[in-house]
Amino acid sequence: MRELELYFGPQHLGMVGNFSITLKVEGDRIVKADANPGYLHRGFEKLMEYRTWMQNFPLVCRINVVEPDHIELIYSMGVEKLASIEVPLRGQFIRSIYCELARVGSHLFGLWAYANMLGFDTAAQWAMYHRDLVLDLFEELTGGRVYHIYIRPGGVRRDFPNGFEDRIIHTLHTIGSKVPDYNATFFENRIFEKRAKGVGKLNREQAKRMGAVGHAIRATGMKYDIRKIEPYAAYDQVEWEVPTREDGDVYARLLTIRDEMIESVHMIFKLIDKMPRKGAVCTKTPNPFKWNIPAGDTYVRCESSRGELGLYLVSDGGDKPYRVHFRTPSYSHGLTILEKALVGESIADVGNIMISLYVVAPEIDR
Amino acid sequence: MKALKKEIQSSFDNVLINIIDKDRMVINIDKNGIVSLLSYLKNMGYEHLALISCVDFIEDNEFGLVYIVSAYMENDQEYQKKEKRNIIVKTRISRDKPHCITVINIFENAEPYERELHELFGIYFDGHPRLTPLFLELEYKIPPFRKDFDTRKFVKGFFDKIPLVEERKGKK
Repeated sequence: MRELELYFGPQHLGMVGNFSITLKVEGDRIVKADANPGYLHRGFEKLMEYRTWMQNFPLVCRINVVEPDHIELIYSMGVEKLASIEVPLRGQFIRSIYCELARVGSHLFGLWAYANMLGFDTAAQWAMYHRDLVLDLFEELTGGRVYHIYIRPGGVRRDFPNGFEDRIIHTLHTIGSKVPDYNATFFENRIFEKRAKGVGKLNREQAKRMGAVGHAIRATGMKYDIRKIEPYAAYDQVEWEVPTREDGDVYARLLTIRDEMIESVHMIFKLIDKMPRKGAVCTKTPNPFKWNIPAGDTYVRCESSRGELGLYLVSDGGDKPYRVHFRTPSYSHGLTILEKALVGESIADVGNIMISLYVVAPEIDR
Repeated sequence: MKALKKEIQSSFDNVLINIIDKDRMVINIDKNGIVSLLSYLKNMGYEHLALISCVDFIEDNEFGLVYIVSAYMENDQEYQKKEKRNIIVKTRISRDKPHCITVINIFENAEPYERELHELFGIYFDGHPRLTPLFLELEYKIPPFRKDFDTRKFVKGFFDKIPLVEERKGKK
């Protein structure tokens, strides 16, 4: 059969985000796939070298549009490590609760993208609505719905408002009460199962070799989670489980995401229970305009909703970073795994596999 | 961690190893030893390449290449058993002739990282099958992430050449 070249994206219904893949197809089968990023390359890491440590916060949160909170967190962690700043205990708990809320919101957004692409519009609309409820919480806490700039070196920008914990619990109960409906219409739906089972399969060895992280590797049965391995914030203060699946296909990945959301919600309840009721939320830091950070370099990592998120940060002792490099989970997922996982699949499954891997284009381009 | 330090020091020449904190180890090595050191570390269980990065030390006229590897952990027992650490491998290469050997035969996900560094810093990775552009649209005389590339100057020179709407209308 004749081999054809097909440009999939950036303007395509099955494509979420500004990203494209050049496919070589034979009939309906994909022979070769070339990922083609760069539509959102803004050179943030270079721009950050021109701005002071504190000025960089509005930039970093734009690296991942869907989930800016973990990028703020990792940048704060890097600065704290270089400047040897400690975060007070209440600040740590608030960070954990805030990041878990972000994880729930981001997974709901991912669920929207996935269900929408497959044509499950009802589940997609629910997910979008429930994400909006989480955004309402963020708006009350930080003033912003999408970009919050809430975490800062030393802790967080402000304490929880009065009765905020109760409102978190109320919102999460509202979302949680819909889980049986999600299961009935989407996760246990035969159509979804038929579409997703056996597609885009990765075994554990392949996943390890290609640098998979996050839910992509947890769907192959490995409990690889930075929150357990290198606990930061308050993750070592409460008991929680790392959800895994064995099959490594699209179906397993989606179910891992669902289980993770449920685990996050339980974790937030436990964190709220255990959180100290009083105390500072932020350590005092020097005047940001005259803040020189000691020379040195560091690598810090955390678990974002897509997987291991890292930051290599170099300071030359001045008031600006010397070099910043983010290790984003979508980078290996979108550029290495996607290219390999698409070979042999049909054109209709491109979006299926890509969104199940949670590839977010701005995170790749930076 | 100290045992690993001793082992590496006995198997490789010209290495300088520092242990910072409990969980970070920094290995400085000559660029010719990178491939053998990384495959040695991979066999020791550090199978996860987290990042390849580059720092432009313009004052020393050198690039610093940074490889960060860590171990995958499968279950709760391994959290207890294995030492949880990141190993940061550093090397320096000359800025005038930036060449290094590719590591894609060891870590498959090194491929886009090396492509990116080639594009943004102008470093050549010998043996890499496709050092084609990844992000950028234009070609630059100086690769844009080097320290001597001034973003603000470039923006002024590039965008100021585009005539204003009024000027274009006047020409008609």
